[in-house]
Amino acid sequence: MAKYYELSELESKAPKLFGIPTGTKLDEMFYKIEVEDGKYVKKPLGGIPYLAVLNITGVPDTGKSVLAEQFAVTQANLGYKVLFVTVESPANFLYTALKHKAQALGADFEKVEKNVVVIDASENDELRENPKALIDTMAYAIKEKKVTNTIIDSITGLYEHKEVMARQIVRQFFNFLKKFRQTAILVSQKRSAQASESAEAAGGLAVAHIVDGTIVLDKKLIETRWDVNLYGLPLGSVIRTIRIDGCRLCGHDSSTWVFEITEFGTINIICPLSEFIKRRGRIEEE
Amino acid sequence: MEVIARPKGGNIDKMAEKVFLESIKLLGGLKKLVEYRNLTWLPSLAEAAYVIVLKNEAFKTYKEIAEELGITEQTAKNIATADEEEVKKYIEGELEERPREHIAGGIAKLAYKKLKEEGKLDEDEVEIKHDEIEVLGIDWAVHVLTRIKGLDFPVEKDQLMERLKGLVIKGKKAEEILEKLEYPIKNPADLLHKIKIHLEE
Repeated sequence: MAKYYELSELESKAPKLFGIPTGTKLDEMFYKIEVEDGKYVKKPLGGIPYLAVLNITGVPDTGKSVLAEQFAVTQANLGYKVLFVTVESPANFLYTALKHKAQALGADFEKVEKNVVVIDASENDELRENPKALIDTMAYAIKEKKVTNTIIDSITGLYEHKEVMARQIVRQFFNFLKKFRQTAILVSQKRSAQASESAEAAGGLAVAHIVDGTIVLDKKLIETRWDVNLYGLPLGSVIRTIRIDGCRLCGHDSSTWVFEITEFGTINIICPLSEFIKRRGRIEEE
Repeated sequence: MEVIARPKGGNIDKMAEKVFLESIKLLGGLKKLVEYRNLTWLPSLAEAAYVIVLKNEAFKTYKEIAEELGITEQTAKNIATADEEEVKKYIEGELEERPREHIAGGIAKLAYKKLKEEGKLDEDEVEIKHDEIEVLGIDWAVHVLTRIKGLDFPVEKDQLMERLKGLVIKGKKAEEILEKLEYPIKNPADLLHKIKIHLEE
């Protein structure tokens, strides 16, 4: 029998709106509106929204995995259990990446090590090819280890040779993550024909439509005189950008921000792109 | 950092077996299939059970299912898209003409939906191992059932005496117990029940 609710009945079931820190400036880019002295004010959440399932997309080498790993280390260091489903990089390589990130972020790696559970689907065909097997394994890990945050890097790897199934597969994982009350990050890859700044990824807009929000990472090679003048960067260098494309759970900054991947392999979000260009202009004038 | 490298659950073969057995149940049980000489349905049902599970649980494409099962893509599609309600009407005798749907596909879909709704598709069955049976004190029942295998019920005392001769049930000789039971005994369950009551006295 179909269920329906009176809106008021849902009050007790509605999740609280607060942030789950990522260890980047993204934490200040999601916000909620509160009333203070009779006025509406914008308050940063301090993280990505609690219980959100977010999609991080971008062309290769834009820092998607770096961001996902930084989120894992930050949460694990705060004492929360993180489930990392690695579909691309084998678990031993992920270990090294997390260790370096922990060092760069000044996190306690012993704590991180204790709080991260990894499902290695990269080397097991059954886990990669059979979503049911992976979901059951994730359910086991979440229940046994009391996990609150989940990362799948990448969701694309679960349907890379059958993109027609993308919608069904993503929907299964999304529903599962909601049912198991996870704050989650799904990494998704783009195909060469897809515009690098859009939320579209392999499988079309399936991932973006289903999840709660999308963060788009992009990079641009400085290759013309025009680029040099506009960005104030030398020829051959790269400018990286990050943008919250949308989030249905709360308000967010919608501008494009410039970020760098530091030499220690962490993400450092610098300032909005418009400000970055202005700043460069001012430096040149001086 | 704990690494889980093998799947826990999601066993496609087990799920397909369950759908297959449930399909047989929906048709009135294996015995009915034998009686109506419909055993030739079994291969189609097995195939359909796999198609439905691979499609709905493993999210395989028709091409992948066809390759895995050695059938054509069209067959896989016919099975997965069979109108189960039409097939249900047909097996219940409501339709005079055979519908154009894939019959085994429709039955497997009905079975799959039933198991899914009841939450039994991926439920682990409890397997009782030999040692556990002994700990539970029900090992005698296993021995009795093994000895009476193939016996035609209802049975009289003499037939049981012959089969259970020499068996000791909870310290008592089987012959002594059999002397005290009421005959005829209708079926194996009746026999176990009567032995149990005698042991408790």
